[in-house]
Order: sequence, then C-alpha cells, then structure tokens
Amino acid sequence: MKRLSCEEAIRELVAYLDGALSDEPLNALEAHLQVCLECCDRLKFSRQLDSVIKARLAEGTLPDGIEDRVRARLSALAIGGMAEP
Amino acid sequence: MTLPHLRSVYRLAVRLVGDVTAAEDLTQETYLKAMQAFPSLRDRARVGPWLFQILSRLVVDRHRGSAHEVPLDESVDLDRFSLYDRIAEEDPFPYSEKLHDGFLAQFQDEDVRRALLSIPEVYRVPLVLVYTEEMSYRELAELLACPLGTVMSRLHRGRKAVERALWECAHRRGWVVEWTP
Repeated sequence: MKRLSCEEAIRELVAYLDGALSDEPLNALEAHLQVCLECCDRLKFSRQLDSVIKARLAEGTLPDGIEDRVRARLSALAIGGMAEP
Repeated sequence: MTLPHLRSVYRLAVRLVGDVTAAEDLTQETYLKAMQAFPSLRDRARVGPWLFQILSRLVVDRHRGSAHEVPLDESVDLDRFSLYDRIAEEDPFPYSEKLHDGFLAQFQDEDVRRALLSIPEVYRVPLVLVYTEEMSYRELAELLACPLGTVMSRLHRGRKAVERALWECAHRRGWVVEWTP
C-alpha cells in the first residue's frame, strides 16, 4: 500500500468526508490518519466546518399560493403552445 | 395538475439562491422546463432527481460566462487557501484551548449563509446538493453532466471558496488582522 505524504492526504480529505473514497485510496488515507495527528486535526476541522454550514443552510417554507402561481404559468404555457401554428 | 416534489424543489431553490422571490421564480421556471421536456424523461420514477437537475442547471447557466465564474489564475490561489492554517498562523483567540472550534463558533447563521452565497454557482450547486441531498459523486456527475474528476475539484474548490469567504468575514469583523486572499 502506498504511503501518503501530508500534502497527498490533505488533498483526499474532502472526498473522504463525502464518503467518496474506497479501496486503495481509502486504506492509504486511513493508514496515514492513524499516524498523523496534524492531518487528524485538519479532518476534524473540515468535518466541523461542514456541520456548521449544513446546520445554517437557509430553510424555505413554501410560500402561500405558490402552487396556484406555478399552475397558472404552466396553463398559460400550455395554452400558448396550443395556439402556435 | 399535480406538482410533484414542489416543496423539495422550492427548498433547494432557496438554499441555492438565498432569496425567496428568486427561489419562487426559479421554481416556476423549473416546472416550465420540466413540462416542456417531460416527453424526453426516460425513467418516470426519477422525477425528483430530474427536477433537481433542471433547477441546478438553471442556477449554473444563469451565470455561465459572467464575471461570477472564477478565472483559472484565481482558482490556483483558491486551491492553496487553508482556513485551518490561517487560523493557526494568526491565532485570533490566544487564550482559547480549542482555537479552531472557537473561531467557527463566532460566526452568526447569516455570516455562514452569506459566505455560501458569495461563491460562484458552479461550486455552490454541487456543494449544496452534497450537504442537503447527500448525493454521491456519481449522482452529481450525472446530474451536472460532467466527469467525476470535475465534481471532485468543484467540491474541493467550493469548500475552499467558503473558507476564504469566512476568513474575509472574520477580517471585516476585526477578529483577524491579516487579509490576503
């Protein structure tokens, strides 16, 4: 198994956080994390930053009447489409 | 006429553009496009992801070629930016035992939302889809019609861009002295 440098490990952290690593790249990164406290700290920070952003993403409650407005535009499009030669 | 997934589509639109009026316009546009393209939908069981795809492309295409896309030179600088390193170097809270955690805890909800909204759509769209819909890289590649490598680099740069926007925010608020992008 290839041994990763810190620079190589840092480049893989995002994919690791997103669960996108598997097989050899995953094993190589996990082996590096077992022996590198600095990269573990970086991973922990990136994970926490992701949690902060996720928790603060805007919430949208459906505005009153949106369904009617979308339907009205779709109907207008349908009628316009039928009117075309 | 039923509007499947209206709530999910609108919620994603709000998260992608941050403004309820713009989000409603985008939602309407998404269903208009969907109605026009419906005959071409192969798998009718996948209407939800298909609507997300239409919405995402509308958001990215709206700014394609505009000044809001990041030039290549800047993206190289972006790749090098590390909020973790900046915090460690400047040490804005010298008496904190948890320096990095303490730094993140300073931000208000609105600061974080603004940071996310300040980054180019080409990075924001995949990032929001990963955060909210927990999409895999493969699903994202399909949805955004780009190779896996492009998805990976956009997610990487998107996070870097958010980190840089948060550092800039910390500078504006006077928590840190140094500001070099």
